This record gives sequence, C-alpha cells and structure tokens, in this order.
Amino acid sequence: MDPILLARIQFGANISFHILFPTITIALGWVLLFIKLRFNATKDEAWMNAYRFFVKVFALSFALGVVSGITMSFQFGTNWPGFMERVGNIAGPLLAYEVLTAFFLEATFLGIMLFGFRRVPNWVHTMATFLVAFGTTMSAFWIIVLNSWMHTPAGFELRNGVAHATDWWAIVFNPSMPYRLAHMLIASGLTCAFLIAGLSAWRWLRGDRERDVVLALRLGVTLGAVLIPVQILVGDLHGLNTLEHQPAKVAAMEGNWETRGNVPLVLFALPNERERRNDFQIAIPNGASLILKHHAEGVVPGLNQFEGKHPPVAPVFFAFRVMVGMGMAMLAISWLGSYFIWRRGHLPKLLAWGFVAMTFSGWIATLAGWYVTEIGRQPWLVTGVLSTAQAASAVPAGMIGTTLAMYLAIYVVLLGAYISVLFHLAGKGNAAVLGPVPAPGPNIPDPATVALETAR
Amino acid sequence: MALITDNLPLIFAALMAVSILAYVVLDGYDLGVGMLMARGDRTERDRMISTIGPFWDANETWLVLGIGLLLVAFPAAHGLILTELYLPVALMLLGLTLRGVAFEFRVKAQLRYQGAWDWAFVAGSLLASVTQGYMLGRYVMGFQAGFWPELFALAAGFGLAASYTFVGSTWLLAKTEGPLQARAVGWARVTLLLTLLSMIAVSVATPLVSPRIFERWFSFPNIIGLLPIPIMTGAFFLALWVFLKRMPRADHSLDIAPFLGAMALFTLGFLGLAYSFYPYIVPERLTITEAASAPESLWIIFLGAFFVLPFIVGYTAFSYYVFRGKAHDLRYD
Repeated sequence: MDPILLARIQFGANISFHILFPTITIALGWVLLFIKLRFNATKDEAWMNAYRFFVKVFALSFALGVVSGITMSFQFGTNWPGFMERVGNIAGPLLAYEVLTAFFLEATFLGIMLFGFRRVPNWVHTMATFLVAFGTTMSAFWIIVLNSWMHTPAGFELRNGVAHATDWWAIVFNPSMPYRLAHMLIASGLTCAFLIAGLSAWRWLRGDRERDVVLALRLGVTLGAVLIPVQILVGDLHGLNTLEHQPAKVAAMEGNWETRGNVPLVLFALPNERERRNDFQIAIPNGASLILKHHAEGVVPGLNQFEGKHPPVAPVFFAFRVMVGMGMAMLAISWLGSYFIWRRGHLPKLLAWGFVAMTFSGWIATLAGWYVTEIGRQPWLVTGVLSTAQAASAVPAGMIGTTLAMYLAIYVVLLGAYISVLFHLAGKGNAAVLGPVPAPGPNIPDPATVALETAR
Repeated sequence: MALITDNLPLIFAALMAVSILAYVVLDGYDLGVGMLMARGDRTERDRMISTIGPFWDANETWLVLGIGLLLVAFPAAHGLILTELYLPVALMLLGLTLRGVAFEFRVKAQLRYQGAWDWAFVAGSLLASVTQGYMLGRYVMGFQAGFWPELFALAAGFGLAASYTFVGSTWLLAKTEGPLQARAVGWARVTLLLTLLSMIAVSVATPLVSPRIFERWFSFPNIIGLLPIPIMTGAFFLALWVFLKRMPRADHSLDIAPFLGAMALFTLGFLGLAYSFYPYIVPERLTITEAASAPESLWIIFLGAFFVLPFIVGYTAFSYYVFRGKAHDLRYD
C-alpha cells in the first residue's frame, strides 16, 4: 500500500481519537468551575455531588487526551518530517508555546483539582479548577492557531522554499483563526452539554432522582439549547470565511461542479467524481446561492474551476451533511427538552431516552466537522505552500502498517472501555460513586469542607 | 543580544537536556513505582499509586517539552533520530498510553476488570522504561546495526528499567510508612546494585564505540578535570549503600535523602553522557549548530521559555508542597 496514504490514515486515526477527549475536557473544565462557584455561593451539597461525579468524567477523559496527545507530538516528526523542514519556523514556536503556557499548567493543577480538596483552602481548589480550565483552553487556542495557519497561511515569506516568519501578529490572527476557534470552542461546549445531559438522563432513568442528578440534567439540556443556535450562526460565518479563502473546499461541501449563479442547495446526492456530476440529487433551487451569496443569482464557485487541485469530493460532501444533520438533531432535542424541563418541570421518559442516545452526538458532529475542514484542505498540507505528499516521510510502508494496526487495536479497546466505564459510573447510584462519608481531614479545617461534612 | 543570538543552538541544547533529565528523574520514579506494583497486593498498590497520582501528569509533560524542543529547535536531528527509532518509539508510546489510562481505569472500571488494569499499569510502565533504555543504547551506539549493538541496546533497556525502579523505590521510601516502606528499602538496595552495573556498562561501552569519545575522556589533561565525575558518582553509590542499610530511621527523618541521592546519581550520569557526545546531537553525524532552526524563531521560543519557565518551576514546587509528607489514600473529596 501507498506509504503516504498509510501515514495519513495513521495520523488521521490518532488525531481523530485524540480530539474526542479534549473536546470534552475543554468545556467540562469551565462547567466544573461553574458548578464549583454555584457550590461556593449556595453551599448546596447537591452542587458538590455533581462536581464530584463529573470531575471523575473529567479525570478519565483528560488521561485519554494526554496519552493520545503525546503520541501526536511524536507523529508530527515521524509521519511528516517535511512539515517541520518547510514550516518549522512557524509551527515550532506555536507548538512550544502550547507546551509552555498550557500543558504544564493544566497537568500540575489537575493534581490539586482532583486530589487537593482537603489539602488546600477552598479558594485555592476553586482557583486550581479555573487554571485547569484556562490551561485546556490555551492549549486549544495555540493548536487552532497553527491549524488555521495551515489553512490560511499569513505573515511569512519563503526563502529557499523554507517559510520564515515576518509578522507574528498576522500569523496568530490569520484569516480563518477567529472563526475556527469560535466554532471549535462551541463544538466543545455542545459535546460536553450532551454528554452531561446523556449521562444524567441515564442516571435519572435508572431511578437515581437525587437533586444533583436533576441539577446536572437541567444544566446539560439548557447549555445545549443555548449553544446550538450560536453554533449554527458561527458555523455559517466560518463557511463564508472558507468561501473567501478556500473556495474549492466549499464547492466540495456543496457538491457544486459548475461556477455559476442560481446554484441549488443539494440536500442529498452521490457525487460522481469520474463523470463530474451528482447522481440521485435532491436539491432546493437557488439554495446555495442564497446561503453563500445572499441572493438567488449569486455566483458560487464550482469544482470544475479547480480541476486537479480540489479535495476528494465524496468524503467532504458527506461529512458536511453528517455534521449539519447532527446539529439539527441537537437543536430539536435540546429545545424540546428545555421546554419540558423549564415549563413542565420534568422530562418525559421517551425524551430522556433520546438524550441517552445523543450522549456522544457531539463527538460525531465534531469529527465530521474536522473531516470536512481537513480533507477539504487536500491536496495541500499548508495551503499553497506545502502539499501533503511533499511532507511525507521515508519510513517504509510495512513499518507504518504494523504500527497503524497496533494503534487501531489499542484505540478500539480504549474507546470501548471509556464508554462502558462512563455508563458504569453513571449507573452505580450516588452512594457507590461518592463512597463513604469522609472522616474529618487532618489538614486545614476549611469552612467549605466543614459545611459539607455537617450537611452530610 | 548578539551573545544570545550566537549561542541560541547551545542554549536550546541545554534546555532540551534539562527537560530530558527532568523527565528521566521525575517520570522515572512514576515508571519505577509502576513496575514495583507487580510486587504489591491490592492495598499496597493503591498506596503506591497514591504517592504518584498528583504528580505523574506534569512529570510526563517534561517528555513532551524535551521532544518538542528537539522538534522545533533541531528539526533535522528530530527527523534522523525518530526515523532510526521508529519502532521503539511506537512501543514506548503504547507503554505510556497503557500506563496513563490505567491510572484512571484501575479504580473506575467495573470491579472484575480492575485487576487487569493493574497489570496494564505494570506492563505499560515496564514497556515504556525498557524501550526508553533501548533507545538510549541505540543512541550511545551511534545507531549502528548488527547483533552486538542490538544486544547492548536491549541490555541498556533493562538497565534503565532497573534504574527507574531504583528511583521509584527511593520515592516510595520517602512517601510511605510501615511495612510498605520497609519493603521499599529492600527494593532500593537490590536495584541500586543493578543501577551501578548499568552505569558501568554504559560508561565502558561509550568510549569503546567511539575513538573520539575515548580521546575526550582519557587524554591529558582532560582526565584530571573530569575525574570528579566518576569519583563523585562512586561516592554517591557508596553513601547510598551505607545509608540504605540504616533505613528507615526510627524518627523518619531523612526519608527523602535516598531519593535526592538518586537524583544526584542520574544527574552525574547524564552529565557524563552529555560531555561525551557534545557537540553532536546525532552521534558522529550532526552537530548542535548544524541541526538548529532559524535564529528568529528560536528567539521567539527563547523569550517564551525565559518568562514562563520560572512560573512552571514555581507552581510545580507549590504542587509538591501541597502534597508534601507521607501519601494518604487518594480521594476526590
């Protein structure tokens, strides 16, 4: 098999596995901070119980994110040595800043956040929760900066084929960065919201009607209902930004072959790249022109304009529809759920099962979205600067294949274990999850701890 | 300014060396404790984990920094080294993955799987340690192919695993009490001897493989200036041996001393290696200066590191302060 394709599959598999976990932890860190602040303000034990349950989810997700992230830091070099040779002067500092300003911060304060509740004053514990959330977000910031730069490079010049930075401000705030960062952070919020709603609905259906479960369920459903319209708006803006800078990607997303006006919005089709047309197309007349150009005659770029230089159409086309479809499902269920929770005070059973089914809907939407944007960038690794093939390594296909099989096997096992353990934790019921009542600690007699222990 | 610009490659080589040394010592004790878990029962394993639980994640980050600096400051060397070590790197990552997730799964998974995750923890720690030592061995041998270099590298793999077990034992000695601490003293004594053996093996092999390194160490007057390194190493070994015979002391003072001694040993060994290979970053093939990236990019990273590293050291110290003293059961409340 082609070593470049193998290297791509390997890197793609690793990065897909990796993104699942930061997508949860970036937003869950902030949600935990919110819960902790509610506890500080109300001294309501239910909030602390919710914190204790979801901090376990956080710890587990974080560990999986860390180990897959370390693998990635090696694969940058092993799979794409040409990447660092050509654009290392730009990618290098961005990656270094991620390690320096994010990784150490989150890793160090995670210890205090997880195990320090009875060893430090309450405010230090709250501060540690904040610093972990801040660290995960900083990490997202730097890596999105680098990723966006690869899509829309700016602030550099090529000397002997090697990129040299000329304007760091332009590199960091490159044209697609603000849109991509907002889109990703909200995606993380949604993934986390549906995870919280799904796990809480599962606990609720299993007969665990403690107040912390109800609070968390309400929090998850409401967060999802608030974020999804914002995400649709931001996604639309990101799409318009992509139309400006990477029109071939948008053409593939829309399944549009000819550059012309009155382009329909293709709801479903089988893109046929050989004959350069769509089979079995169902479309809304003028839809794409209206969305992308805001009038029916608006001229939308088509794939034929970029023949030989556009991404593979079918994966981008379908991944885009999976993402949008998942977004619509999220909109429907979270608004329906909010209506029942806030107006009727409870969730119908069927709807609760719906939330259980949607527990990992954020993962599907996020992965589909990343496939749209990353496959949509092909054949480039860095748009206009470096093609994927140029960056590949000389490692023989057999070696890549062997390690790929190993990685895939371990990812399947870990993913299965992760999902089953989450539902296992959720199904155990309050008493078992929280363990026996803690004996008074030998350390600082903190007011919050005392309040907690007398409340029990 | 010009002074810094001219020496940027050297500064980054030093930063990278410090990161790798920090990783080897800090994650070394995590991995060592992980391997020693094979000898404990369920209660002891819980206690052993609780000594490293709050720290391991930050400890492992030093590896990311070290490899990240190699990647960004010396991309050419990164490509060469990681292509040579492609398979052991993949196996090491497998080991680190198993070890990292087992931390969580061993207590959160369904009861019937918890024992299996304990073994994944041990196996992951062992695999990561042996592959790291193997890579060190290949590096020392200048990536030569063939039966003897491979055998040496494999022996170095088990040598480093033994050394990690030694640091792990001294860490347990510092952080535990009672019977477990007494066992840790026994483990420390055995693994100290294995560490001595491994260090001698690497010290003998390195100059034999490369005439250049032989020349560096044994020519006059270098040998006089360098003598303190082996002498101090020997003195530390002797002191640790004598000291460990009297551990643990009745009043538990100085429980931390063997761990500090282990750190000193690792530092001395590392200094010796660094002296042998300088100015090469890929032995006999690529020097630090040849492999370095463009100075303007190194400047940007240098500034970041200059301002951020003190904070990292500060909050790391704070974390060790918060979790000072003997470890108790890890709990989330």
